[in-house]
Amino acid sequence: MLLTALPLLFALQAQVRTIAIGADLAADAGIRVGDTVVVSARPGGGTEAAGAGAEGLAGRAVDTVVVSAIVERRADPSEIARNDYRVRLHLDQLQHLIGYGDRVDRFAVGTVDSAATERALGAINDAAFGFQAYRSRDIAAETSTTFEVVSRFHRAIGVITIVASAVFLLCILLLKVEERRRDVGALRLIGLSRWTVFRSVVIEAAFVSVLGSGLGVAVGWITSAAVNAYYQAFYRTPLRFSIVTGDIVLFSVLLSLALGVVAGALAALRLVRTAPLTLIGR
Amino acid sequence: MRSLLAMAALRRHGARTVLAVLGVAVAAAMLLCMVMLSAGLRESFRELLLSRGFQLRLSPRGTLPFDTEATITGATEISRVLRTLPDVTTVSAVLGGQLHVERGGESITSFALGVNPAAQGDYELLSGRDALAPDAMVVNDAFLEATGVQVGDTLDVAAGYNPQLRSYSGERRLVVSGRARFLYLAAGQSAVALRIGTLQAMTGRARNDEVSLFMLRLKDGADVEAVRRWIQGHVPRVDAISTAEAMQRVDERLSYFRQLGFILGAVSLIVGFLLVTTLVTVSVNERVGEIAVMRAMGISRAHVVQQILLEGLAISLAGAVMGLGLGLVTARYLNSILSAFPGLPAAIDFFLFQPRSAWTALGLLVIVGIAAGIYPSWRAATLPIATALHEEAVA
Repeated sequence: MLLTALPLLFALQAQVRTIAIGADLAADAGIRVGDTVVVSARPGGGTEAAGAGAEGLAGRAVDTVVVSAIVERRADPSEIARNDYRVRLHLDQLQHLIGYGDRVDRFAVGTVDSAATERALGAINDAAFGFQAYRSRDIAAETSTTFEVVSRFHRAIGVITIVASAVFLLCILLLKVEERRRDVGALRLIGLSRWTVFRSVVIEAAFVSVLGSGLGVAVGWITSAAVNAYYQAFYRTPLRFSIVTGDIVLFSVLLSLALGVVAGALAALRLVRTAPLTLIGR
Repeated sequence: MRSLLAMAALRRHGARTVLAVLGVAVAAAMLLCMVMLSAGLRESFRELLLSRGFQLRLSPRGTLPFDTEATITGATEISRVLRTLPDVTTVSAVLGGQLHVERGGESITSFALGVNPAAQGDYELLSGRDALAPDAMVVNDAFLEATGVQVGDTLDVAAGYNPQLRSYSGERRLVVSGRARFLYLAAGQSAVALRIGTLQAMTGRARNDEVSLFMLRLKDGADVEAVRRWIQGHVPRVDAISTAEAMQRVDERLSYFRQLGFILGAVSLIVGFLLVTTLVTVSVNERVGEIAVMRAMGISRAHVVQQILLEGLAISLAGAVMGLGLGLVTARYLNSILSAFPGLPAAIDFFLFQPRSAWTALGLLVIVGIAAGIYPSWRAATLPIATALHEEAVA
């Protein structure tokens, strides 16, 4: 829509309108606040329309405006992959530019509470001619399919990761227990019960799991910060792509603890079922 | 002999070997999925773009095809100019829009494509006749299901809905002449195709001679980039997009999945490496005395190193073979999740199996298997024989 930045000082007259542009467009096009630019409603049609008198079939095809503000992009997930430049104009200015007349695409209506929302919805849909009112949450649900799909994908990846972690943990604990066969054999020979050995192995496994999950949370937190820094720069958005919440930390620690205890119990069972003399290699 | 000894060492601790193989299998499955994800989306999209032989697409300047409602005006003149280019063999103009069908008291809205049936690249005719007549249209299965009509039926359709006046700019009676599969549409998206002139007249686009897109087929061996540059320089209202550039733009939009594939693939390799290294290192630690005896008997360092490397490699290979099968099943499941991505052509696969993907995954796992054996084999090779034998005797 925005064609070129022009140093047209003579265009700075009282009737020249102002626009706001996105920070990414300003950076890419080298536009600063106070610059005069020409905007057009037709892709690539600005110069052509200007030559034809700047009045096209769809209204004024081009307009000379002053950039009065540079705005940051909103943290809107639905805009992430598009990388579109954003230009904000006054409503009447855009209507005029694109030949829209006194038309708008939508109205946003504020209400005092949910009951008022229902009343307004009913009243508008009963009385209005030619348009339909929707709740914001219904529209949000309708447009959030992309994120639901990505979310389902992430959950599936998460399940695979948990399975891999469980096998890894079980394997490591089994090795750890196997390494101490002689120690455990000696302990059994001096009178420690199977139950005591079992408990000590399980407690040790739980301790290792909690310690490991604590370390994992720290690594996760750092990775999350790195992911946010990278994707925020990549997509030029303040959106947070990865968050580490208390619930997530708690879930991770508890899951790790549960896996550790189960793995420890399985490894300990193998150990206590073996005769002490066999354990020490006799 | 080395293989035999390596297998014997692995069999001695069957449970841990099975667990390690399982761990590597899960890591290998994840790795294969991620290799398929990294390359599959791109390859699948490339195949789709080239499936009808059109190498260039012209969309309104600053937009991607059908990304916005912007159109290219003066289409006939642009089309005439394009046909004068010696390398261009086919110019296919396409207009996108919406058609509404009243059925059972409700309005069914369908995506509509205005095309020249003789030179279109948007659909494959499955049955019936193409929309050659001005009052004919071909439709997809989703449309047939939504409207309950059959090939041969006549329908009243409308376009250019004005919500304020609740009126249409154009209404026609069209015959469903054929059933087609639309290549670039999402699964379940209802669609029809009719002659571009008919749709232009119905939507009010005829006045400015508007189209949404041009697709160009070039001669074999033509320099696509040279033609693209010429068009870009001589037709100011359009962006000329080659297949390579379209893929690059899609890559930019869906780069997240490629990067995710790379990161998770790397994590899988690291997990597999750690697992095999740990297992083989513990195994070597347990066999210090045995290795020292072998060395004292005159077995060479190289023999010991090779035996331990073989242990790591065997675990990795067994895990890889299991993991490749598991990976194909997992990839199919993950693909079924992502195929619900809104707006993406149904023909696009996020996870596309290519033999190259399997070989890549297998090759990486073999490298990891060998690398995982390096540290424990180094430990075994540098073992002080006398000290190890003494400690073993005391123990």
